[in-house]
Amino acid sequence: MSSLLQVRDVHFDYQGHSVLRHASFELEEGSCTALIGTNGAGKTTLLRIAAGVLRPVSGSVVLQGRPMGAIPLREVARTIALVPQQLELPFDFTVQQVVEQGRTPYVAVLRGPGRSDRMAVDRALDMANVSSLRHRIFNELSGGERQRVKIALGLAQEPRLLMLDEPTQNMDIGRQVELIDLLHFLQAEGITILASIHDLHLVDKNFSTVLLLSPGEPLASGTPEQMLRPSILEHAFQCPPDRHPLLIERAELYQKETR
Amino acid sequence: MEIEVARERPAQEAMPPETVKQEALASASEPRNGLGKGLALTVLLTLALGVAILGSLATGAVPIAPRTLLAAMLGQHPLTEMQRLILFRLRLPRVLASGLVGAALSVAGLLFQGLFRNPIADPYVIGSSGGAIFGACIGIAFFSQWSVFGFSATALLAFVGSAATMALVYSLARSAGKTNVVTLLLAGFAISTMFTNTTYFFEIFDKSGNGNRILISWLHGVIGIPAWTELAVSACLLALATLASLPLMRTLNTLALGDEYAQQLGVRVESARVCIILIGSLLTAVAVTLGGMISFAGLIVPHVGRLLLGPDHVRLLPVTALGGAIFLILADTVARTIFAPSEVPVGIIMAFVGAPFFLYLLRKMKRGYTV
Repeated sequence: MSSLLQVRDVHFDYQGHSVLRHASFELEEGSCTALIGTNGAGKTTLLRIAAGVLRPVSGSVVLQGRPMGAIPLREVARTIALVPQQLELPFDFTVQQVVEQGRTPYVAVLRGPGRSDRMAVDRALDMANVSSLRHRIFNELSGGERQRVKIALGLAQEPRLLMLDEPTQNMDIGRQVELIDLLHFLQAEGITILASIHDLHLVDKNFSTVLLLSPGEPLASGTPEQMLRPSILEHAFQCPPDRHPLLIERAELYQKETR
Repeated sequence: MEIEVARERPAQEAMPPETVKQEALASASEPRNGLGKGLALTVLLTLALGVAILGSLATGAVPIAPRTLLAAMLGQHPLTEMQRLILFRLRLPRVLASGLVGAALSVAGLLFQGLFRNPIADPYVIGSSGGAIFGACIGIAFFSQWSVFGFSATALLAFVGSAATMALVYSLARSAGKTNVVTLLLAGFAISTMFTNTTYFFEIFDKSGNGNRILISWLHGVIGIPAWTELAVSACLLALATLASLPLMRTLNTLALGDEYAQQLGVRVESARVCIILIGSLLTAVAVTLGGMISFAGLIVPHVGRLLLGPDHVRLLPVTALGGAIFLILADTVARTIFAPSEVPVGIIMAFVGAPFFLYLLRKMKRGYTV
């Protein structure tokens, strides 16, 4: 597999505080990577830097062998889609109008969206399972429905790399399973996935690589088996091992495996 | 079972063909209906604009029957010398100026509301009009005889004042990549108040007394009777600015997602922002040089357009321009007839209509002002 995105020794400060220090990772074409870490560790910042919307203080981001800054914005937008945690709209746009914005990097300034754009929007709405909401007002949707619409907006960009920032927030377990299935489907289609995930139960078996971001520590990377070890999680999340069901569960599993 | 269903869903081929077809038809028909609605409303408003112009020309201290006007237009009934004088020297330039001012303010309001992602931004509220007045005052007081490429220094300085104020207010309201609405409104209010009150000092520099009279009428928002050349230049600038804003309408739709998201979608946010501020300021300057400080037109018209057509800026542009022109022609007709033969500044009529509307919007948006 060839490398799609490389983040090299990235450093970022916000209002005098160091948010990211010497973060480096690489995404292989077609891989499915989970980004985990404590609250405030800089997961969102790292995703924004990797997507090219935030410039790091130092370090570099290389997309398909080219420095991010040297690639035209529209070309980046046709390659990477970042689904953010929050999306607030000032006016009453319908779901379809929101998802149509995903075609911005494809639509010429003086020409409206064409047949291929409409088809891509329909496909994105369908994949995110929000076709039935297309005429609803985005601001009137529930948190989970909005989340799926945001994913449809990202899919309408027809990206090669889909980044999702906490995509399962506000989703019930049924919708979480749908999302995981969608990620498997997209991966099978050759789309690379990078998702910041809070629920560690979803990481195991669904992601090929895990990136662990802890404050003051270098970015760690490995397979789910390597990264979800109780000792690593306990240290990274500063959580006593006997106080959280996940850690108890992982400890039992790990003991079974070692036996 | 749920998991099985969910697993099958991403594979589009698994869906029944009828469902896919129906959904494709539904999705294809929606934009067409929306576009049809926008087109129908544009045609309707064009006709309404014709009626509003005719009605306004017919109304005044000396009424001229619309039938007489139509007959005169068709060459079937000559007008008396008095009627001709009233019509072509007084009413027609003023009615056309009202239409231009209304269209310019409304399109500027649409641009600023889209840029600031806020329905209460309009040239008057955010200080753009105040900046234009201040610039124009400098022109009247110090450079009244100057002109550059046929444009009077007053008009050019109105544009510079408007653009500079917008840039200042915007930079004050920006923090950490976001626009703070409360800061935007407060900064706009403060700068607008300062500039409009500063105009008082220009009386000191004005020796003729004529400038003072112009300033007072500008501050109250009076649409005068412009020369035909001034009207032609203003109409050209309005047409130019509206055409230039056409490709920006799609960008405004994307900017509604937020600056960072728009950038992620390939929009050059900074360039778009500069273009929108410049075009909005040009439109404000056109409106101010013809009619002075007229409040709230840029607030009400785009909002009503949005209620009728939804928030798509592409559809809203022609409707907003036409709606603004009609609205101000009607308001100015009321202003010059309600206490005839005396006239009320149209800015006062607009304030009485606009202020309650503004308060209604503030009330509706109160969730955005929690402290």
